[in-house]
Amino acid sequence: MSDDVRPTIARPMIARPTIAHPMIALQGITKTYPGQTRHAVAQLDFDVPDGNIVMLIGPSGCGKTTTLKMMNRLIEPTSGRILLDGEDVTGVDGDQLRRRIGYVIQQVGLFPHFTIADNIAVVPRILGWDRKRIDTRVDELLHLVGLEPRDFRDRHPRQLSGGQQQRVGVARGLAADPAVMLMDEPFGAIDPITRDRLQDEFLEIQRQIAKTICFVTHDLTEAVKLGDRIAVFGPGGVLQQYDTPEQILTHPANDFVAEFVGSGAAVRRLSLLELSRLELEQISVDGVDSPNGHPTYRADAAGRAVAWSHLPGVSEMPPLVTVPLSGTVYDAVDVMLDMRTPLVAVVDHEDRPQGALRWDALVRELPTKGRRP
Amino acid sequence: MGFGEYVGSELSTLGFYAQQHFLLVLYAVAAASVIALALGVLLHTNELTPESWTRKMRVGSRETALLLASAALTVPSLALFGLLQPVLGIGVAPALVGLTIYGTYPVLRNTVAGLSSVDPAVLDAARGMGLGPVRRMLRVQLPLAWPVILSGIRVATLILIGVAVVAAIVRGPGFGQPLFTGLGRLGAVNSFNQVLAGTLGCLAVAAVYEIAFFAIARLTTPRGIRVR
Repeated sequence: MSDDVRPTIARPMIARPTIAHPMIALQGITKTYPGQTRHAVAQLDFDVPDGNIVMLIGPSGCGKTTTLKMMNRLIEPTSGRILLDGEDVTGVDGDQLRRRIGYVIQQVGLFPHFTIADNIAVVPRILGWDRKRIDTRVDELLHLVGLEPRDFRDRHPRQLSGGQQQRVGVARGLAADPAVMLMDEPFGAIDPITRDRLQDEFLEIQRQIAKTICFVTHDLTEAVKLGDRIAVFGPGGVLQQYDTPEQILTHPANDFVAEFVGSGAAVRRLSLLELSRLELEQISVDGVDSPNGHPTYRADAAGRAVAWSHLPGVSEMPPLVTVPLSGTVYDAVDVMLDMRTPLVAVVDHEDRPQGALRWDALVRELPTKGRRP
Repeated sequence: MGFGEYVGSELSTLGFYAQQHFLLVLYAVAAASVIALALGVLLHTNELTPESWTRKMRVGSRETALLLASAALTVPSLALFGLLQPVLGIGVAPALVGLTIYGTYPVLRNTVAGLSSVDPAVLDAARGMGLGPVRRMLRVQLPLAWPVILSGIRVATLILIGVAVVAAIVRGPGFGQPLFTGLGRLGAVNSFNQVLAGTLGCLAVAAVYEIAFFAIARLTTPRGIRVR
């Protein structure tokens, strides 16, 4: 299991150095439900690093929701220890523990007889915040999740759409500013278009608030899109692999993970891998320096690529086609097929080439940065 | 003597009966509601019962309470008051106790139904936010179950207005007295007027209660579960 962590949402190009501080740590956790011989979760050691989004994924009945619910002790473990920010919380008062941890579920579960503002204010009220602080916080959170406080504060949950309700659900989870958020398939019951938008907004929010988030999903696309790390659970609540999304996709630890990732994994990976995370083929501007074997290109005054000037082993230059660095490998393949060229230049937001990607490289193993060998 | 004339001459007596009838039902419904609500709420979740109670014991007690309350409702009212008389004598006491026994079932049944109908997702969220069992019951479950419970109380009230008449055989207060007197001497002077006044009196009391319940339902149902 590698220790490095993909830099989250800010997506700098270099992986952040190893961090040793887990916000949540499960140590030797086992859960056996009464009357059952099989473990729901078996001997689980699991660290959630501070500020990360960790996705728990696996087939039905693999213990991912059980694991999540043991983190705030909605389900009490049969044995083992739970540490929250270094503090052993295995034996503390469960209700008080849960007030320190945000909780968002698929069915949202807003209180229908409360206004939106009152729903968000539940935990702050219990914690005894004064009125003014609560009002300010409610407005702040409604803004954060993209709902205009003036329009939504005094409405009731049943007057809101499913997507709006889940925004309120997220705001409610964040209300008392917990360090940790537990989310159980929060976007699972929402239509695909709204879900996609909510996921984007969720990443945007996480960039601002940098919480430690544990997120149960059954959707691999969602796991790869949102997760800094993915934990794949197998039957009997056994953790099969816990790693970065690209490691899960490129190097499944065993047959179970390989099968779970699925036969479409190779193509799926293309649309999930951003070009910025690839080790691109080095290219250089014509005339500056031409190390043997590197493609070179002619550039205009602004440094934008205009045409290929030299490609090793090729006499007739193909047209120079570019794809943005922010795109995915899938985009690059699309452009190659569309333009019938085996080579694209990858450019940054100012159209300056950062490297090249070849058709040939795609069928070999795609080298990515920021992970251990 | 015509009915109008009769009512005119007996107005203060009839008013007194009306007041007695109204209060008898009010006290009985209040007592029945307190008992049924306490039972229903306590036996709804294991977190409110003593820790030594298993789920089986709790559910068993709840079903037993429902069974007993419904069995009591099937005892003929005349017989029930007759059975209470040796123990509680005559007058208000047996009337009140008898009516309370009758009123318990509808409230208990609706309390159980109302509490069970609360969306499990709402409860999961409440638990996940750190609301303890008591807070959850008072802030979430009871308010959401309230419209169902209230309609149970209303049904109990209507039943008791009718049954309260029978309480007159143990000298219970209310419109049962003129009714029974009238029925006992049918054909005599004003006997039919007494029966008619007792019947219409019950209807009038029922009408007052209906109006009251309409107002209470409007005032106590949270806006969020009224809106659609």
